[in-house]
Amino acid sequence: MSAPTMPDTARPVLDVQGYSLTYATRTGPFEALKSIDLSVMRGRTMGLVGESGSGKTSLAWAILRYLPANAREGDGRLLLSGEDLRAKSPGEITDLRGRRIGMVFQDPSTSLNPTLTLGRQLTEVLVRHRKHSMTQAKAEAEALLARTGISRPAEMMTRFPHQASGGEKQRVVIATAFACNPECIIFDEPTTALDVITARQIQDLFVRLQEDTGVAALYISHDLALVSRIAHDVAVIHRGAIVEKGPSRQIFATPREDYTRMLLAAVPRPTVRLVTGEPSPQAPAILRLEGATIRYGEKNLIDRLLRREQAEVVGARDVSFALREGEILGIVGESGSGKSTIARAIAGLNDFSGTIALRERIFHARREIDRAFRRNVQIIFQNPDGSLNPRQRIRDILARPLKLYDLVPKTGLDARIAELLEQVRLPRDFAQRYPHQLSGGEKQRVAIARAFAAEPQVVLCDEITSSLDVSVQASVARLLVDLQTRTGATCLFITHDINLVRQLAHRIAVMHRGECVDLFAAADHAAPDRHSYTRLLLDAVPNAAGA
Amino acid sequence: MLDIWRHPTGLIGSCLLALVLGAAVFGAVLAPYDPQLFQPLARLQGPSAGHWLGTDQFGRDILSRILHGARATIAFGVGATLLGVVAGAVIGVTAGVVGTWVDSLIMRTIDGLLAVPDLLFTLLIVTVLGGGTGHAMLAVAVAFTPGMARISRSAVLSIRTREFVQAATARGESRIYIMAAEVLPNSVGPLIVEATIRVSFAVLLGATLGFLGLGAQPPSTEWGLMIAEARQFMFRNPWCVAAPGIAIAMTAMGFNLFGDALRDVFDPRGRR
Amino acid sequence: MNAAYLGRRLASMMLVLVIVSLTVFAITLILPGNAAVMILGEYATPDQLRVLELELGLDRPWHVQYLGWMGKLLAGDWGASMRLSVPVGGLITEALWRSAALAAAALAMVMVVAIPLGIVAALKRGTWVDLAISFFAYLGTAVPEFVTATLLLIFFAAPDRGWFPAGGFVPAAENRLLFLYHMCLPAATLSLILTAHIARQVRSEMSDVLASDYVRAARLKGLPERTVVLRHALRNAMAPAVAVISLDVGYLLGGIIVVEEVFAWPGLGRLIIYALQNRDLPVIQAATLVLATVYALSNLVSDLVIAALDPRVRYA
Repeated sequence: MSAPTMPDTARPVLDVQGYSLTYATRTGPFEALKSIDLSVMRGRTMGLVGESGSGKTSLAWAILRYLPANAREGDGRLLLSGEDLRAKSPGEITDLRGRRIGMVFQDPSTSLNPTLTLGRQLTEVLVRHRKHSMTQAKAEAEALLARTGISRPAEMMTRFPHQASGGEKQRVVIATAFACNPECIIFDEPTTALDVITARQIQDLFVRLQEDTGVAALYISHDLALVSRIAHDVAVIHRGAIVEKGPSRQIFATPREDYTRMLLAAVPRPTVRLVTGEPSPQAPAILRLEGATIRYGEKNLIDRLLRREQAEVVGARDVSFALREGEILGIVGESGSGKSTIARAIAGLNDFSGTIALRERIFHARREIDRAFRRNVQIIFQNPDGSLNPRQRIRDILARPLKLYDLVPKTGLDARIAELLEQVRLPRDFAQRYPHQLSGGEKQRVAIARAFAAEPQVVLCDEITSSLDVSVQASVARLLVDLQTRTGATCLFITHDINLVRQLAHRIAVMHRGECVDLFAAADHAAPDRHSYTRLLLDAVPNAAGA
Repeated sequence: MLDIWRHPTGLIGSCLLALVLGAAVFGAVLAPYDPQLFQPLARLQGPSAGHWLGTDQFGRDILSRILHGARATIAFGVGATLLGVVAGAVIGVTAGVVGTWVDSLIMRTIDGLLAVPDLLFTLLIVTVLGGGTGHAMLAVAVAFTPGMARISRSAVLSIRTREFVQAATARGESRIYIMAAEVLPNSVGPLIVEATIRVSFAVLLGATLGFLGLGAQPPSTEWGLMIAEARQFMFRNPWCVAAPGIAIAMTAMGFNLFGDALRDVFDPRGRR
Repeated sequence: MNAAYLGRRLASMMLVLVIVSLTVFAITLILPGNAAVMILGEYATPDQLRVLELELGLDRPWHVQYLGWMGKLLAGDWGASMRLSVPVGGLITEALWRSAALAAAALAMVMVVAIPLGIVAALKRGTWVDLAISFFAYLGTAVPEFVTATLLLIFFAAPDRGWFPAGGFVPAAENRLLFLYHMCLPAATLSLILTAHIARQVRSEMSDVLASDYVRAARLKGLPERTVVLRHALRNAMAPAVAVISLDVGYLLGGIIVVEEVFAWPGLGRLIIYALQNRDLPVIQAATLVLATVYALSNLVSDLVIAALDPRVRYA
């Protein structure tokens, strides 16, 4: 939350002037960047916000002179402290990368070399650019790692990437980017691949280092709320063009362009509730979990003797909760916390011990789960690309539950399918299409329609908005709430997005390391009896500026 | 499907295949001579206007023999591969679907069988069954079975973890429906690719068996056998071994290139 | 590298060998035309067959026969060749060393040529160098060993030129130079096909690695291309390439059968062909088992090399 420091009156560190970029593709030229103007002063952070495919990463590659073979550059200049990067020879660029301009990537687990120690990957920059000896480089690297908050730097240096956590790896990457005190660093979604709490720590680290060093930072993200918190200035990019730019506060308080307003509206704000009304507290429990435990990786005798050792993993331990009729129960947690495991067990996809009960019917094991139960409990998955069979038309996909549960007479099939499509706000003629002819958001709508086609009592939503773009996320969330209200189905909504769950859930359960540590009504999120982990989670997520 | 011709490999592969398949279909009509016609006065001649690829040790026209042999070669390669693919797919899909210890047992057995080189495996079976084209084809099919079983199993398993299959399971669909409607239609792609590439191995194995005298028998126009028969005359007329050799290479390469291009079309992400 | 990893690998290798032995046993004894028929030929009288079956113990249940056979094998009694009337053990050992020399020479040629070719092709992706290497790689895998061998003979061993011997074998102990001289053409034949295949695989692995995030990260750190390729890319590309090479040892062992036959190299391959043609059962069984063992061992070695290259495997 740093107050913008006085900008340098001197020229900008990074200055993009009228830059255009086109990719030659099979279907013709694709304009990735259209006459971009952007400048970052020393000591400032410029947030570049856009949805996937907006061209934000292309700009990073262009600045770093790392363009694919099919890229065709148009007019414009890319200036680093006044020097035109486009005029430099490949040798000069190599010498400048990592020394004067650094980069931090999205996913530290792929951007670090798996066969080299973390120390080696850090010291090699110092040896290359600052001509350190190996001993000097090691000492310097330890100091750098200590600065990024790694508690035992010397030990961390000897580890390989797979022996470090995501947060530790990203700290190493950040230390590498800062190693040569560059004038400018580009951050490309540096916390998207991390869990919320780790992400928050890395963001705080970024703010601290940026202030300490005064580096000019270009911070690329799809997350407006995040950018509003850490950037001094913001540029919004849409379809290769910058639609609006200015100081963060101004953009968030008084956005001028429709697109910016749409993006802002799409950011989940916990204060804006999507659900209206509450199910009555006396509503009977419709689905109950009692002492449900789910294990993974049980092996048969032959595999135990011969295959790689793989410890049996407990996915969820002794979980109990009840869904009240007509409510939306949100489950939040980090990846690996067991939240999806629970949904999979309820959907009859994982073995479990303990009991799962639907109204008065009680199940003790997966094999007891029958078709009547399955019809009443439908699941929607995270990834719409994977959840529709690519070889079936939308019509066949939607017809399947209708036929399987014998819900509609054969003659009424097409009418019902049209009705279902309308319910999820898709045109009727989509019935004849194949999944690959639909966008991600449209596919997810079809998956939702398929779940509701069964006229279920309970719908399990497993991260259904996570792989969608921000603006699509919001509309899918609204659609779900709408359908839930209309059909009266009970909903289990699993997500890692705490702001979103606070918007649409009546009650929220918190999962941590396989256990359900907290369960509370959405309004009580700040109550003093919240679990310490719940508080940690709530504090980790930024709220949109002005919210 | 048109995408195939956009790849240079696909284009070359298709051309080679068209040539070889053309020879298999029209070879008998196009051949200028009877492939078994002895011309004692024209033995071991080099290429000429009368004999484009020359003649062999009995004065038979090499071009005519190659054209006649194309059908047998293609039939052998495709036949053996089909048998092996079907047998392997049945075993692999069973293992993948049933899972548990049945899967482990089948897979460990397959590991064991794969430890015997293809050619040796084929030779062992041919020895047991006795030589001849039919037995050779069966032997190659048996030798292919473990490898195909492993590939079909992994194709099935990779599809089975996809969310649309999970959705079907959660819906309460029967195992048979899931297999027939969800898994198999989505795993045929990789199987077709693998089968296409395997045809080229089958052609090579068939020719090798013919060469070792364990496959086709004289006076067959099988290309491997042609080379074996002409071998002692190879220094006098290199064409009688080079020409069938080139024919074998063209066929194998055609299937190989075509299969690789198919892979790219089915899976644009894989860059192999 | 921990002992448990090695232990599991050894255990699965043992299982593989048990399965191979069962297969060999099944193929030679249970399939139509049992051992007695194989030995005596199709025209033997029923009486002759009966006598031989009793002599061989073929009337016992199959598992008793199998265990008896395995017991003898493990005790070092490999039986005697039915045609050559010499102990199989000595026969195989002698042939194995000759084949091993040939295979080693071929593998050495492959390593020196194929890996650099694959790397160059990946680095020059899309250029004519890459196209030429790729074309050669496709061609190489499409030409069977016996054709390559025959063509090499025509070019290099034609009687009017006589640059190389057309076949045969001189023991190394007798004349080391002549031994190597005779090995040139067969080793070249074997290595041509393997080179083609391995170069293609190395190219593919290397292209994947060069397109990876961490190689991009290394370039954007400003490391020179040389360092990027040698330090960051090569090691990661080699682990999968080694796995492919070890699988190719299987091709090599198959190819060696044909090549030895064409060049009259008295190794294991030629022994197998001889045994198959003469239905010499103990030799067939022993030779097959030996080849499978060699293959299984090469897989084990490759796993260990991969573990040395890739810390994720090493510390798994």
